[in-house]
Amino acid sequence: MAEILNVGIDLGTSRSAISASNGERFVVDSFVGWPVDMVARKVLKRDVLIGHEAVANRTMLDLHRPLERGLLKEGSEKDVEAVRELLKHLLRLVGVGSNGTAASNVRAVVGVPAASLRTNKQYLRNAMKGIVDSLLIVTEPFAVAYGLDALLHTLIIDIGAGTTDFCVMKGRYPTEEDQRTLTVAGDSIDTQLLKLIEERYSQANVTVFMVRDWKEKYSYVGDAAEPVLVTAPVKGVPTELDITGEMKTACETIIPPIVETMLDLLARVEPEFQERVRNNIILSGGGGLIRGLAPALEAALQAVGGGSVRYMDDPVFIGSDGGLALAQDAPEGDWEKLSA
Amino acid sequence: MRAGNIERVKRRMLQEAVAENLDVIRGLPPRALRPSSRFVRIWLKRAPFLVALLTLLGSSYLIANGGSGTVVNPLPVQRAAVIGSRQAGLPVPREAVMSPERMTASAFPLTVKRVVLDAGHGGNDPGATAPNIFEKEITLDIGRRLRALLESDGFDVVVTRDADRTIALKDRAHLANASKSDIFVSIHVNALVKHTASRGIETYYLGTTSDPKLTALAAAENRVSGYSVSDMRRLLEGVYADARRDESHELAMAVQRNLFTKLRVEDPGLENWGVKRAPFIVLVATDMPAVLAEVGCISNDKESAMLRRPEYRQKIADALFEGIRSYASANVTRADAPQKKGIEKNG
Repeated sequence: MAEILNVGIDLGTSRSAISASNGERFVVDSFVGWPVDMVARKVLKRDVLIGHEAVANRTMLDLHRPLERGLLKEGSEKDVEAVRELLKHLLRLVGVGSNGTAASNVRAVVGVPAASLRTNKQYLRNAMKGIVDSLLIVTEPFAVAYGLDALLHTLIIDIGAGTTDFCVMKGRYPTEEDQRTLTVAGDSIDTQLLKLIEERYSQANVTVFMVRDWKEKYSYVGDAAEPVLVTAPVKGVPTELDITGEMKTACETIIPPIVETMLDLLARVEPEFQERVRNNIILSGGGGLIRGLAPALEAALQAVGGGSVRYMDDPVFIGSDGGLALAQDAPEGDWEKLSA
Repeated sequence: MRAGNIERVKRRMLQEAVAENLDVIRGLPPRALRPSSRFVRIWLKRAPFLVALLTLLGSSYLIANGGSGTVVNPLPVQRAAVIGSRQAGLPVPREAVMSPERMTASAFPLTVKRVVLDAGHGGNDPGATAPNIFEKEITLDIGRRLRALLESDGFDVVVTRDADRTIALKDRAHLANASKSDIFVSIHVNALVKHTASRGIETYYLGTTSDPKLTALAAAENRVSGYSVSDMRRLLEGVYADARRDESHELAMAVQRNLFTKLRVEDPGLENWGVKRAPFIVLVATDMPAVLAEVGCISNDKESAMLRRPEYRQKIADALFEGIRSYASANVTRADAPQKKGIEKNG
């Protein structure tokens, strides 16, 4: 009998990560591009490019970012094709198609935003037909909590690119009441930062891709550790720009809605457990890397008696690792029912 | 959580995740919009008991109405239920027993026979205090007086303590559950340290509360519970879907109404603080309809003085007795009233 490969996949708007039971882990940018014409195909020597390669060669590509706010864009066959390519690419990276592992032996757990509708899940399930043998779809923060064994009296705040997902773990499979999704996340910071930079440096030639890179390197809230200096062309001349204030302003735009949602969810916890949950808040996702965010949330918690916000060391793979843990724990009989 | 518990919780969560995925695959609506499978399971488990009970009621009717007395034709369950209900003289809509609607214990004309009296605090736990008087003494005295009243009226009475002893709340609940009693009444006395001018009566039944004052009060009363957090959670989860809460509410209403109307005669300044919900351990962990009555306010000088008087404590016991008797008699009457339609949302 062929060996089964369990995988956990964090299908993200900006980046997608995969963790496999053979020990392999990869993360790729969630971009898929097809050469726009014969010339581009001849130059690129590929029918499809994925991830960083696609972004780097985007001028020659019909570039797609198939996930929007963490969900597969509906109504676009090209985006469905893009997400299938992305998933196949992730699986190839962990050895599917080589090493004797066929797609028919792959069992996948895929994380989606907490507020995903059932139609979103069905759409994703349809898109994954034939790519894996069996598929279990769970909410991303639940996968994170499961992987960390943080199943009781814990609040997970997963800040991705498209969405910020909240989930209070109450020792049961989270219901809609336990979860929230905000569209205020990494992408909204990028949009805000680009706008602020363009306002201040109207002559600078800046793209959202550049802004995203700067955010990932220098994002912070609160006090700046050092000036944020970046280089961008101004009238064609590489010029150093000081975006310290703009970075702070853009990053801090996500704090009020996150605080409001956090406090709202905490208030809905049984009164006797609220203090425990307040002291057990976990930040995950790329947004968790924003310097000073955890102390800022802790400061907001002072109004309700204080609390502790932890940041996990491996935010990129925390969701996919949780998905893998779920995949490995799921009984054989359940997988048979979940054929993709 | 202990390792074993984590594994158990994980298994349950995985089952629920798989179930949700299967629902999506099958195109079923969200579970919250479907009739509660738990409800069905609960009633399936109770089916043998119900069949026996309803058959008994039907048989009694036939015997009372000139049946052979020795050979009774078996009746369909629904028919037997309707006949049994008519015994009490009031019509019951057929759908009350035919449809899978929520039913309370009052669906059957059962009487309250055995009462658990729980005198709050005791031993090392004095409860609320005022100069030269402890809550534990007041509750024990009222409990003894109430016991005498109930027993003289034909009730069986079980007491959680009959002396100045320390008894964990967990043990009180165990005792009540083991005694197979019909209702549980816990007697307490309030203390409002920051509002010493206030005095009033309030009665609690099981439920959650977002009121921090009630949470603090429940925490104070739950101090020596002996239950762990996981025990507490299990107990809470087990009770929400239970019709017991409705019955507890009815009992609390009867007790509060009698306490206030009768004690206000003695003290016109007494306030009616009403019936409230709070997660007191003794209410959570007991299997039967249960209430906790705060029969007075020891922090108020005037009421503290009244609570020192045996005559006033007797009045309190009288009022509690009337409240219990009122609930017990209404329990029979309510059996014949039309049932509520639909399945109520818990929470």
